[in-house]
Formats: sequence, C-alpha cells, structure tokens
Amino acid sequence: MSYQRTQYFSSRRQQNWSRNQNTVAFVSAIKLGPVTHTVLVALMITILGLIYLTQATRATSYDYATQKIDSQIAELNTQKSDLQIENARLTALETVKNSRVASTMTTPATTNYVQQ
Amino acid sequence: MKLELQKGSRSKILAAIVLGIMAVFVVRLFYLQIIQHDYYVGLAKDEQEKRLDLPAKRGEIFALDGQTPVPLVMNQLVYTVFADPSIATDDAKIIDTIEKVAGGNARKNLQTLLDMKNSRYQILATNVTSTQANMIKKEDLSGVGFQEESQRVYPEGSLAAQTLGFVDAAGIGQYGVESYLNDRLTGTDGLLQSVTDVNDIPLTIGDDNIDRPAVNGQNIVLSIDRNVQSHVEQALKDGLKRTGATRGSAIVVDPQSGKIMAMANLPTYSPAKFGQTKDIAAFNNNVVSAPYEPGSDVKTLTMATGIDKGVVNADSTYINTDHIQVDDVTISNATLGQTGKITLQHALNWSLNTGFVTVAMRLGNGTEITRQARDTMYDYFHNKFHLGELTGVEVQGEIPGTVIPPTDVQGNAVRYSNMAFGQGLDVTMVQVAAAFSSIANGGKYYSPTVLAGVIDKNGNYVPNKPQTPSYNIKKSTADQVRKMTHVARGTFFASVDKSGYYIGGKTGTSQVIKNGQYSTDETVGTYLGYGGTTNTSRYVIMVRVSGDHQELQGARDALPIFTDISNWMLDYLKIQPKG
Repeated sequence: MSYQRTQYFSSRRQQNWSRNQNTVAFVSAIKLGPVTHTVLVALMITILGLIYLTQATRATSYDYATQKIDSQIAELNTQKSDLQIENARLTALETVKNSRVASTMTTPATTNYVQQ
Repeated sequence: MKLELQKGSRSKILAAIVLGIMAVFVVRLFYLQIIQHDYYVGLAKDEQEKRLDLPAKRGEIFALDGQTPVPLVMNQLVYTVFADPSIATDDAKIIDTIEKVAGGNARKNLQTLLDMKNSRYQILATNVTSTQANMIKKEDLSGVGFQEESQRVYPEGSLAAQTLGFVDAAGIGQYGVESYLNDRLTGTDGLLQSVTDVNDIPLTIGDDNIDRPAVNGQNIVLSIDRNVQSHVEQALKDGLKRTGATRGSAIVVDPQSGKIMAMANLPTYSPAKFGQTKDIAAFNNNVVSAPYEPGSDVKTLTMATGIDKGVVNADSTYINTDHIQVDDVTISNATLGQTGKITLQHALNWSLNTGFVTVAMRLGNGTEITRQARDTMYDYFHNKFHLGELTGVEVQGEIPGTVIPPTDVQGNAVRYSNMAFGQGLDVTMVQVAAAFSSIANGGKYYSPTVLAGVIDKNGNYVPNKPQTPSYNIKKSTADQVRKMTHVARGTFFASVDKSGYYIGGKTGTSQVIKNGQYSTDETVGTYLGYGGTTNTSRYVIMVRVSGDHQELQGARDALPIFTDISNWMLDYLKIQPKG
C-alpha cells in the first residue's frame, strides 16, 4: 500500500507565524465502507474472544492436571496409610507373641547383672 | 417520492406494537436482570459451583513401647460396595468379582441381592480396602458403586479398650480417651468451593472460590506402655480364672511422674466391634468410674496423717482388745487374737482396725475423734491425698466419689472412725493409687495422667513437660510409711517376691453396700503396693477383684495378681537387685 501526495496546504496561522514552512497531509486512496468496518470490528472481537478462550482453556487444563496430581497424592496417601496399618498389625504384640521366633524362645535359667 | 407515516396508518400501528413489545422486553429484562439479579445469580451458582467438605482426619492414638510410640488406634479408608440391581446387567461377573476380591467381607447371598430388580440399592460387601476397591473398579462393573468412609482400626486388638473408648457411627468419641479428648482428636473440616465441570472436577474460574484445607486432629501419645498393659491384662485374666472372681481391675502408675503405665478391666470388649458388646458395662473404665469403699488400703493414709501430724510413729503402742468404742458403736478387728500392748507396725501387719481408730483418736484428744481430729483427717484425705474429688485423668466417665466433711451432719466421729480403716468413704482406684504414690515417692503428689505427649506434623514424638508435684506430706513421713508397708508385706509374703528388691504393700478387704446396707455375702479384695529399690519406688500397682455374691479377699485373691505383675515389672524395667 502506498500513499501519494495529493494536496499542499498551509494554515492561516502557519502562514502568519511560520512563513515558507509547508505542511503535507496524505489521504489514503483505499476507501473502507461501513460494512468493512463492521466486519473488521467483528473480527477483532472474535480474535479477542479466541484469545480469552485460549487462556481460559489453558487455565482449565491446568486444573485438570492439578486434579490428577491431587488424586495421585490421595491414592499414595491411602496406600501409605494401608501399609502403616499392615506394619502395625505385623508388629502388634499378639502377632509377635504368636510368631515362630517367640515360640522357640526359652526363659534364662540365671540372670547376671552388671555391678554399678 | 416521499414516504411518511400517515396518521392511523397500519405502519404506525405496527410501530406502536413493536415499541410496546420492546417495552415489555425491556421491563421484563429489567425485572430479571436487575431486580431478580441475586436470585438468578444464586441459581447459577448452585448449578455451576460445588461445595465439597474436606473431612479432617481424626487424630491417631499411640501407646509407648518403652520410650517409642506405637499405634493403638489408626484410621483406614474402607469402602462399602453396593449395586443398583435395576441397572446391573452382568450378575455373574459381579458375583464372581466381589467374591474373589472381597472374600470374607462379601455378603453371602449376592445372587439374591442382585435379583431384587425393584431395588436401587443393595450392599454387596463392606469394609473393603482401597486395594480391593481398585481391583473391583478395574472390572468396570455396570450398576456397581462405592461408598468411601474412614474407620478406626486397632492393631493391638482389645488392648486397653476401656482407656481408649471407641468412635460411634456419627464420628464422635465415646468413653475413654476418645471421648475425653474428642475435640483435640476431631480436628476441623476444610471446605473447597469452586466452579466444577460435569465430572465435578474443580476449576479455577469463578470469583467465589474457597479452598480452606482441613486441619487434622492431633495425634496423641498415651503414657500407657503396651507391654505393661498386655502383661497386666494377662495377669488379671489369670487371677480371675484362679479366684473365680467375675470382675477385676488393675492400675500401674509411675510414682515419680504420675503417669499411668497400665489400666485394665475385666470383662472387656473389642473397640472394633463395640456394637456387638452384650454388656455395655464393659465400656466403663472401673479404675476411674467405679467408686467403692477401699478398705484397709487406706490405713496407710491414716498412718501417714498421724505421723505427719507428729502424734504417732511406727513404734507407737496401744492396748489392743480387738474392740474399740466410738460413741455408741463398737468397732472390732477382722482378725482377732493380737491383743495386748502392740505397736502400730504390728497393727498394720495384721490390718487391725482398732490401731487406726486409735490413730484417729490421737489426732484429737487421745480418747475421742474430736472435731479437730476430723478436720485434720479431712484435710489430709481430701485436700492432700485428693480422695473424693476428680483427679483430672484424661479418661471419660471419672467419678469423684465422696469423702464426707466434718461440717456435714454425717461427718461425725463414727463416720471418721470408719474412714480410718477405709470404710465410710467412696473413692476410686485411681485416687487411691495416686495418693499412695505420694507415699511411695517421698511425699510428692502428682495428678495421675494417661497423656505422655503428641506426635507433631513431622511425625516426631514430643513428650509433655514434666508435671510439677505438690508436696502433701513430709518426706520423713512418706519414707516411714513406705518402710511400714515393706515390713507389712515382708511379714507374711516375703517369699513370693524376687529377692534383692524393695517391695511393699497393703491388703484390703472391704464390704459392699447394697440397697443401703452392708452386704453379708459380698466383699471386694484389693492390694495396693509399690516396688523398686531401697531408695526409689519405680511403680505402684493396685489390684481389685470383685463379683456379685462373692466374698473375695485382698491377701488371698488380689495379692497374687499384684505379685505376678510386680515380679514381671522388675524384669521389664531392668531394675538391678541389691546384693
């Protein structure tokens, strides 16, 4: 797109205060009618809307990722808790008393103490 | 050609109608968007936003294994598997999967349940673990759903059941520590308020989002030592089997700190199956909630009162005739024949009532239990030994008992003569054990406690600060009574103790009041004692056995249980014998 000089003019004020200094104005050769303007505005609004939607969708995708991680954390916590319970059951007194190791233990005949 | 609307033309009428309709729209929109704004915003929020309660995890309860916390009560996520028979299609696959995965937790009549096609909800399995639930979920069974819930689990079974209590279906602690510390254990639920998608996944869009995390309940560490507790429960069980008593209680206290190492009661129950307990009396912790007339155990406190006031000592003598007159009542000894001039040590050895009525008299004018004597006894029993008042032990259902003051019309000389040998007052075992601990430790009274500390957020055990005791009697008094009980035990029962240790104690056999009168066919047997080295008592044990229409005795029925626990404690605490 190019512009061409179409007119020379100088204002009265310039004539008075700035003699021999001309001002140049360019006028576009392309004329945009009201329909074109409307379409352009609509396009801009659409683009802005798309940008907004993109951002919102991106935020939502983060929400899904967060939710997935939260679910994994909850699942791992549940597994940890189950393992702790299993550990507690395996080390409970009754389990230890009934273990094979405990059943083979014997009471010492004599006990010696270190003199303090 | 100039177009213009003519007056009364159809165009004008149409314009008016259009304007009218527009006006209706404007008014309606104004009403909906401005006047009804809040209402419709509310409806939209209800549709778009979800409020999810984030349940706080109930605090877990730990006991000690030596100095290391071990879990007694934990939380586990479990699932109830249910079916909607009206939409369940592949019954055979559902039954096969549930039976294979849930095992014993599955209902027995699954086919019958799934055949109820008019029903929308039938429980197929309960208490299914998360691992099992995930295995069932993988099968993608149509018409099968899951309900998640948190339940208390007890790795040690029924150990310390009455001290722990349980949590009811509403999530509220009942009995024991669960009830007493319910607020600390419960925590505060959190809240997640957010716009969600169709799958209820929270989204960050929206202006009213709230994300308030749940504050979990505190993890409590009890002073109960699981090894001591286990042995005490076994010793009590063996003792009841041996004696035929139907009820038994025992408490083990560290006299140097007031921390309770064990509290046991029989019959007991399983907190995990509290709903199946036939007799709800088993929920009560009788150590703290069953006041009784303690009997001769209290003679140690009477003796301490007399010595501390300087009116008697172990070698003080009196003339024993096996009977003593107080006002219009004659008090007799249970054991007859130790007559003549005897010492109070001798009276303690033989548990002679007359000796301790004599002590009460010497707190007055020597021949009567005067108001001054009663005031002194009340001051020691109630204010210094804290009998007849709540000790503050952190177990629900503690009962204060009763020590009638001299200001009461019933607080007369006869009442106080009975109190001198342990009748005429209602106290709990925890009160007596705490009072006796102050004799065993040299005159320091510690309020009994079952709390040892907490587990912090990082999983570290943080013990409570040591308790500051009150000094209720002189050290010399405590030491003298301690020695007297050592001699009393040694007089008849020295052979049952491991040699090289310093053990002392006092038997108690007390009558039971039924329907306002002393029963003639029922007595309660108790034994109260300590053990350790010559210089330091390491434990105080109190045992009580009882039963309806059973005449149980301290020496015959309660003492062997004490001895069993005491000898085991000497090994467990690794106390070095003398010599």
